Amino acid sequence: MPIQQLPDHLVNQIAAGEVIERPSSVVKELVENSVDAGATDIRVDIEQGGVKRITVTDNGCGIPADQLTLALTRHATSKISSLDDLQYVASMGFRGEALPSIASVAMLTLTSRAEGADQAFEVHAKHGNLSDIRPAALAAGTRIDVADLFFNVPARRKFMKTERTEFQQIDQMLKRTALAFPHIAVSLRHNGKVSWQLPAANTQSLVQQRLKKLLGDVFVDNAEQISVDTNGLKIEGWLAQPAFSRSQADMQYFFVNGRAVRDKVIQHAVKRAYADVLYHDRHPAFVLSLGIDPAEVDVNVHPAKAEVRFRRSSDVHQFIYGSVHRAVAEFKPGGADVSSPGFMRSTVEQPSSPMQERFDTPPGNHGEQTGSTASSWGRPPLSSQLDLRQVNEAMPALYGGMPSAPLADAPSVATDPEDIARSAPQSHPLGYAVAQLHGVFVLAQNEQGMVIVDMHAAHERITYERLKSQWSEARVISQPLLMPELIHVAESEANAVEQFDQWSPLGFEVDRSGLSSVKVRAVPAVLAKGSIEGLLRDVIADIVELDASDRVEQRIDELLSTMACHGSVRANRKLGIDEMNQLLRDMEHTERSSQCNHGRPTWVQLSMHQLDGLFNRGK
Amino acid sequence: MKLSIAKNDLLRPLNRVIGAVERRNTLPVLGTVLFQLNQGLLELTTTDTEIELKDSVQVDADFDFEWTLPARKLFDILRSLPDDSTVNISLAETKATVQAGRAKFTLSMLSAADFPKTDSVGASTRFDIVQEDLKRLFSRVDFSMAQQDVRYYLNGLLLEIEGDVLAAVSTDGHRLSYAKHQLPAMVAEAKQVIIPNKGVRELIRLMDDPATSAQISLSDQHIQMRSGSLCFTSKLIDGKFPDYRRVMPLDNDRIGTVDRNALLAALNRVQILSNEKFNGVRLQFAGDQLSVQANNPEQEQAEDAVELNYSGEALEIGFNIRYIIDVLKVIQSETVEFKLGDSNASVLVLPPGVDDVKFVVMPIRL
Ligand SMILES: Nc1ncnc2c1ncn2[C@@H]1O[C@H](COP(=O)(O)OP(=O)(O)O)[C@@H](O)[C@H]1O
Ligand SMILES: [Mg+2]
Repeated sequence: MPIQQLPDHLVNQIAAGEVIERPSSVVKELVENSVDAGATDIRVDIEQGGVKRITVTDNGCGIPADQLTLALTRHATSKISSLDDLQYVASMGFRGEALPSIASVAMLTLTSRAEGADQAFEVHAKHGNLSDIRPAALAAGTRIDVADLFFNVPARRKFMKTERTEFQQIDQMLKRTALAFPHIAVSLRHNGKVSWQLPAANTQSLVQQRLKKLLGDVFVDNAEQISVDTNGLKIEGWLAQPAFSRSQADMQYFFVNGRAVRDKVIQHAVKRAYADVLYHDRHPAFVLSLGIDPAEVDVNVHPAKAEVRFRRSSDVHQFIYGSVHRAVAEFKPGGADVSSPGFMRSTVEQPSSPMQERFDTPPGNHGEQTGSTASSWGRPPLSSQLDLRQVNEAMPALYGGMPSAPLADAPSVATDPEDIARSAPQSHPLGYAVAQLHGVFVLAQNEQGMVIVDMHAAHERITYERLKSQWSEARVISQPLLMPELIHVAESEANAVEQFDQWSPLGFEVDRSGLSSVKVRAVPAVLAKGSIEGLLRDVIADIVELDASDRVEQRIDELLSTMACHGSVRANRKLGIDEMNQLLRDMEHTERSSQCNHGRPTWVQLSMHQLDGLFNRGK
Repeated sequence: MKLSIAKNDLLRPLNRVIGAVERRNTLPVLGTVLFQLNQGLLELTTTDTEIELKDSVQVDADFDFEWTLPARKLFDILRSLPDDSTVNISLAETKATVQAGRAKFTLSMLSAADFPKTDSVGASTRFDIVQEDLKRLFSRVDFSMAQQDVRYYLNGLLLEIEGDVLAAVSTDGHRLSYAKHQLPAMVAEAKQVIIPNKGVRELIRLMDDPATSAQISLSDQHIQMRSGSLCFTSKLIDGKFPDYRRVMPLDNDRIGTVDRNALLAALNRVQILSNEKFNGVRLQFAGDQLSVQANNPEQEQAEDAVELNYSGEALEIGFNIRYIIDVLKVIQSETVEFKLGDSNASVLVLPPGVDDVKFVVMPIRL
């Protein structure tokens, strides 16, 4: 066959193969166009899972009549005009591929009324042939109608899943968009029925409502707002309390300049930031949006734009890790909602899918709201007062099985704790110790009711945090080796070792010593006893992947954690009231003190309300 | 079959061979001691398959037989008996009865045929050395052997014969110890072998008869030591020990001399406030004083100083305090010499005026 130029129609179909995989990819492209057009209202109408028909209507800027045809032409875009522009893509679309690609695999009707125009126009595309432009009826914005998707690509049609599955994909995708752009009203209809609709969220409470609708009440009730802005990097969003962790990494939403992305660097940074407060196999839940200079991020690495590449990925890693780590550290007693036992049980093992609307938990009481931050996601920072959740339905069920017989050991009682508690200043949210129970728990009384503290777990965390801050200097002390150790690695790893210039802060001294080997000349003194090769290999793997590594720190933290465990009060140590109060005060002042070193909670609150509930009082 | 023997006559050889028996065993027979009675000579053997220990005692018996007994239990039983007891052992199919006075113990026996035997050691290199000398040589360097290092060849002691010099070397990668001993005669073949940790410790323990001579035989796989009735055999570590000569610093020309006991006492004091994980200590050599200083993560600090004979430029250098204490404990002389380079270079520590023992210690960067 002689070489020949492919007809446009075929080129578009090939491109469609990359960009348009299934109905949800059509919706994604269309909705992104609406966002780029400045729409504040986007309506998506689906028929038969999108295979039959997809209609997206927006109130954006519209397309002038004389450009309608152009919009459907390959590589025609109003968003970038030169390679220089490509470096600074701030819009969602930029490839000018979506509309022509869709038009090549479906019947497409584009109707639009440009801002200021007194009439709307439309154009049809079928088999890649465009109709003439005709006047049409549309009050404002743009409507794109896509029918019979893949009618001419039988191979694709075969790969379509059930109507339900395809619709779920669309649903998830659109909800992500709704999460990323709270100020845009979004609605979804399926086969003529409203599936959900969210008003534009321009106030704190509307944003909160939207989050609840998308992620569930429990998430919102147990998430803390984060907003950090430094040196051109800005991170905003919501971080769930460690107790609200998940067994899957299924409630993690990350947006870069509004674009939902998967990114290893980000995922790793957040996971590490939580590492200290979560069980090994638990995953944090979060919604985070990174704002970054578009020049610093390459969005043109994936046809469906689902991945990005940061130009300075180690800076981004550090920024996200640092911000989230600090925020997590500040989750402490008096910070956010209390993780009552009912909450623990009903949410932690929750099997339901994350993006499912849940209306089964009564809304939490978020305490008084103080001044608001100027963020689109802004929820006012939580007051420093203990904030109690409403009685949880799970409570009676949970406590129904409690033994009714009196306890074997009567707890030792402090002198008139009532008076003490009544005069308790606000700064002591964990209240005052009343008694020690079976040598394991400290019972305290605060304004809201009763606080139960796992004495060993709490003390272990306090000791651990103290050790960590004491050890911050000692971390980098380095033990040079008498005989350098030769380690064989992959060539790419040897390259990375050579380029990496942060060895000495890690306590290591490592040089390349051949095409595929490195020489270790010094190791971190604290870790010098064990075998260092395994650690170094992990560090190198991190560096190749992320251009940064926190393995050394992690290993030292493990060591300190073991030390902390040995250095903490054990069960059955009898504590005096003063000692117990000191423990409560220390907890209030210690970062991450709501979880022990292994991620278990160290204390729970039972409110008077909850206690009343146990006795059917006031019902 | 019956056997009668004085308690101590049996305990003595058992005590010598018990070291090879591990407390926990996956193979039950490794927890036993093999008895082989042949023309009145009772030979006891234990093994962990790496090390084999044998000792023997003359007994009054008119039969030849082989059997096993649980080693630790028998050892504990014998030790619990009064010193002047006579022990009567009677052997049946699967049980042995041990009787002394009115005490009676019935022990189970495993088949002697299952007891692992070591292949004979086809030694190519032999020499004699008195126990005292061998013990001193090993115990000067054994403290710096690596333990369970992935570099398996460091988990032992290098024994080197060259001409009439017998040298022992060990290193854990942070420090190295070297000691040598002059043999009375030349050994024909030069040889280097690595003896595993446990073998070294057992050999040191077994050398309890200072003036007695021991015969050492080395093959490529084994080292064997015979002395009197005792026979120790250990497998060797098959690996290449690092070239210790290249590790010895040659041009450290700042030399400081201190009283060994005074420095040891000072280090023991400041160690109380050193970081428990890497035990950092700062040594400052300046003029006529060696100051030592340590602090811990709680910011507590300890200082002490000893008299110093030093002419070099002042130098501050950090160490793992354990490494220096270990060396000072092993050296016997009244004073010790530090040969220093700069604060990042390895240091040579040795008794002044002799070259039969030296220690190289790597500093840490405090
Ligand atoms: N909903 C819309 N509102 C206004 N303009 C639109 C809309 N959809 C598409 N367009 C115009 O059509 C062009 C082509 O769209 P598309 O093929 O998706 O490419 P891209 O988004 O990569 O520029 C866009 O650049 C834009 O000018
Ligand atoms: Mg687009």
